[in-house]
Amino acid sequence: MGAVRLLAGCSFFALSLIAGTAKAQTPVTLQYWVYSDFAQGEALKLQQEFIAEFEAAHPGVKISISGKGDDDLTTGQVTGAASGNLPDVFMNGLAAGAQLVEAGALDNIYFRWMAMPQSYRDQFDTSAIASCMPKPDTMYCLPYTGFGEIMFRNLTVLKEAGIDTTNPPKDWAEWLDQMKKVKAAGKFAMPDQTQVFNSVASTYAIVGPDSDWGIDFATKKTLVKPESYAKALQLLVDMAPLTSGTSRNDQATKDLFITNQLAFHVVGPWVDPTYGQAAKDSGLKYDFVLVPAAKEGDHGGVKSYEILSVAPGKNADISWQFASYIAEKKQMLRWAKLLSRYNGNAAAMADPEVTSLPLVAKSVEAVKYALEVQPPYFVGAYPNCYKSIVTDNAAAVADGDMTPDEGAKDLVEQLNDCIASN
Amino acid sequence: MIAKKHIPHYMMVLPFMLLFAVFFLYPIASGFFYSFHDWNATTTARFVGIDNYTRIITSRDFKKAMWNLATYIVITVPLGIFVAFCLALLVDSFKGTWSNIFRSAFFMPVVLPAFLAATVWRWIYTPNFGLLNMLLGWFGLPSVSFLNDTGSMLYALIAVDVWVSAGFNMVIILAGLKNIPTDVYEAARLDGASPLQQVRYVTVPMLYPVLFFVATYGVISALQVFDVPWLLTGSSFASYGGRSNALLFPVMDMMGRGFGALKFGQASAYGFILTAIIILFTAAMFVFRRKGYDQ
Amino acid sequence: MTIDAIAEAPATRSIALTISPWAVLKWVVAICVAIVAVFPIWWMINVVFSEPGTPVSLNPRLYPTSFSAGFGKIMMIMRETDYLKAYYVSITYSLLTIVGVLLIGSMAAFEFALFNFPGKRLMFAVVMLSLMVPTAVTIIPTYLLTAEIGWLNTMQGLVVPGLASAFGLFMLIQFMKTLPKEMLEAARLDGASHFQLYRYIALPLSKNALVTLAILTFMKTWGNFIWPLIVAPNPELYTVGQVVGLFNSPYSHQTVDVVMTANLLAALPPLVFFLIFQRKIVEGIAMSGTKG
Repeated sequence: MGAVRLLAGCSFFALSLIAGTAKAQTPVTLQYWVYSDFAQGEALKLQQEFIAEFEAAHPGVKISISGKGDDDLTTGQVTGAASGNLPDVFMNGLAAGAQLVEAGALDNIYFRWMAMPQSYRDQFDTSAIASCMPKPDTMYCLPYTGFGEIMFRNLTVLKEAGIDTTNPPKDWAEWLDQMKKVKAAGKFAMPDQTQVFNSVASTYAIVGPDSDWGIDFATKKTLVKPESYAKALQLLVDMAPLTSGTSRNDQATKDLFITNQLAFHVVGPWVDPTYGQAAKDSGLKYDFVLVPAAKEGDHGGVKSYEILSVAPGKNADISWQFASYIAEKKQMLRWAKLLSRYNGNAAAMADPEVTSLPLVAKSVEAVKYALEVQPPYFVGAYPNCYKSIVTDNAAAVADGDMTPDEGAKDLVEQLNDCIASN
Repeated sequence: MIAKKHIPHYMMVLPFMLLFAVFFLYPIASGFFYSFHDWNATTTARFVGIDNYTRIITSRDFKKAMWNLATYIVITVPLGIFVAFCLALLVDSFKGTWSNIFRSAFFMPVVLPAFLAATVWRWIYTPNFGLLNMLLGWFGLPSVSFLNDTGSMLYALIAVDVWVSAGFNMVIILAGLKNIPTDVYEAARLDGASPLQQVRYVTVPMLYPVLFFVATYGVISALQVFDVPWLLTGSSFASYGGRSNALLFPVMDMMGRGFGALKFGQASAYGFILTAIIILFTAAMFVFRRKGYDQ
Repeated sequence: MTIDAIAEAPATRSIALTISPWAVLKWVVAICVAIVAVFPIWWMINVVFSEPGTPVSLNPRLYPTSFSAGFGKIMMIMRETDYLKAYYVSITYSLLTIVGVLLIGSMAAFEFALFNFPGKRLMFAVVMLSLMVPTAVTIIPTYLLTAEIGWLNTMQGLVVPGLASAFGLFMLIQFMKTLPKEMLEAARLDGASHFQLYRYIALPLSKNALVTLAILTFMKTWGNFIWPLIVAPNPELYTVGQVVGLFNSPYSHQTVDVVMTANLLAALPPLVFFLIFQRKIVEGIAMSGTKG
């Protein structure tokens, strides 16, 4: 069947070349690249449903969907841009945005976006839309799925440590106190938050403020301030003796959680299917709550979005129509219901059918407080050294090689060197 | 003037040379051109002179990568050959079927694609309940984060590397062993040489050419080490090299600068720096070998 | 071990009688090394053939525990990813590459190793120098060239740029240098044409080297990831490596046993290939190494 589709696609493509100037109704096959998860199983079925609906409404238009691993999406788009063979509609992460802009892979969809009815534009989360617009009259993406970090709690471990689990810890002080009790009960409190850039960012989000995070690409300086950052480093020092030694992304961390060895796991909602399965298989008792922050009433955690973008070129018009169709409320609602995942369509997120899903509801709340991981998007790419300096520094301070104050000062100097040398 | 009698020769090399010129020489030349340009593969290249080269050589990552590479080669190549040599002696000491069985077993890891070997080893190295840490636990030793502790990361890589390559080298050395005439050993035995002395004074010198081949091949492939450390550290183009760049190697750094930062000009320059190092190394090995023969 | 000692009657009996500590140690070491070499592969199989969800700390996967779970995972991956088609693409890609590399490489090696003609030294030197250039330098220019020819998402785009293997040429030249020149001379006096010398004398005599090169080429092509990734991004031409890549993404929702299954399926053809041809493979590699 696949071969037939390819043949059909090729002949359509050939036809469209012969026909010369392509208008919307000219036969055309759009290449649509998504994350590999979205091209498997139930998710793929729903994507194909969207595609079938769109194809039915636009005779002559065919859409060919391909799944790609995270890194492969960017590699494929960058090389595709170099040779003029870009996919027409594609997903990626916000953090890859600057690279894609530099490679010329992203069409500026601002005017197409503005031409959409107000009611359509109002469907989207305003801060997510703002992330897609690095400067006036410029827009590079539609927000797609996304996440705000939440805290998974292993209730069995907490009970064993004598902790009342009816209410989540209200602030950092109470949270740390609970962690210590967990440790005293012979269990691990947290994964090692120094190992991954996102988990260091997540720790910073506990103390904030959001404005002291990221890079100012105009002046080529980091926005991190020694004063506020030292506080985050102090948290890592406090946590150091209580951690499991595994990073938050390690499979081992999930195993620890499932086997009642680990109390807290601050991470995106994608671990929920694994934990849900374990609840069924081995009776794991867990819940998820908002990440506590230094002050009561505030919350930590980071957020980011997957984006949906369109390549420049002759297919841009019809590609935009497809992208805007996929991101519309009706589709995003079905998508959220199927996967229990948060997305950037605020109207869909406010729908009663979705607000009744606990994971999505919690994510909607989490996103309101969460910190952007790598701002600003679509402006400049974070150099490799930037992330490794942040994690190395966090580890060094947690190991006691430097005090938090020394560490924060040293970090800012090193980050500025790193940005300047790239 | 090309004599007519040479035409058949040219006809036979033509397919190779043609493809070689189009798909290797031209890209190399083009890469060389871009190594003097600021180029992100999409926009037109901007001439920057030797800026790419100086940037790389003075960068912190380059120094780190080169230092890692040097330590890695100095340990891996001799250790790998030593292990392979011992394995070859071991297999050689068995007869018939068992010799074949052990030879095949020792060779098995060679067949595994690198991405697979790395995935499995990542699991073996997992802190707390990876296979290795479970073993340590049985002996009452504390858990080690092999892939996240800057003190152990390089050795963790070397272990995987020796595991992967020992079988390959063993087979080559084994064939060399079989080529040594048995009467040489008999003569040594009559002179009263112990088994160890036989190895030292008969086997090793007789195997010299084979060991040289294994060493040269080992060094050249070690210089280009890429996929195993890349996968062991869970690297992506956005972030690679592991904690403190303890497993950052030149080819990784080069690929990152290209596909990660879109500095394809710099990546090309990096490649030519590496090329120069590889050529120097190979030349040195051959000079060394010639000297070895002269003595 | 004891069984075959009995089977081999008197000759082995004398050996069995003189069991020295050395012999025991030898066996112990050999078995330990064999375990270290084979265990990770064994373990991977166990991870696939066990119930999902049980953490490694509870079930260390020292032996397979559930065949049905393993088959379930394999079927799931086959269903969801077109793995069979990926096998087909990978095998075609590998076979075409092997045939091409052997054919044009052996033709050129035949000339370089056995004859003299103007320009030979220069050509040889250039090819050898190119051996020292890491692939990462050439990958983007080669890709752009392939795109310009219009070979993106085609089998020829995958195969042709990799056919002129400098390493393969080097290996074959080293081997063919050792071919007996008298035989060629004799054949020529019998009236064999130049091409016949290659076809009926040089090729058959180089069988060992060709087999080795075929195997090394197979391993390299099978494991090749980045070239198929950029040159054939269309799912119709996904290789096994790319399909595995879909599962290996860090944020993928897949559990580890599914990831391992995808990996194991990818390793299967090389492993089976090895088990069938192991003697040929091992001897071929040995031969080329000692002649080199």
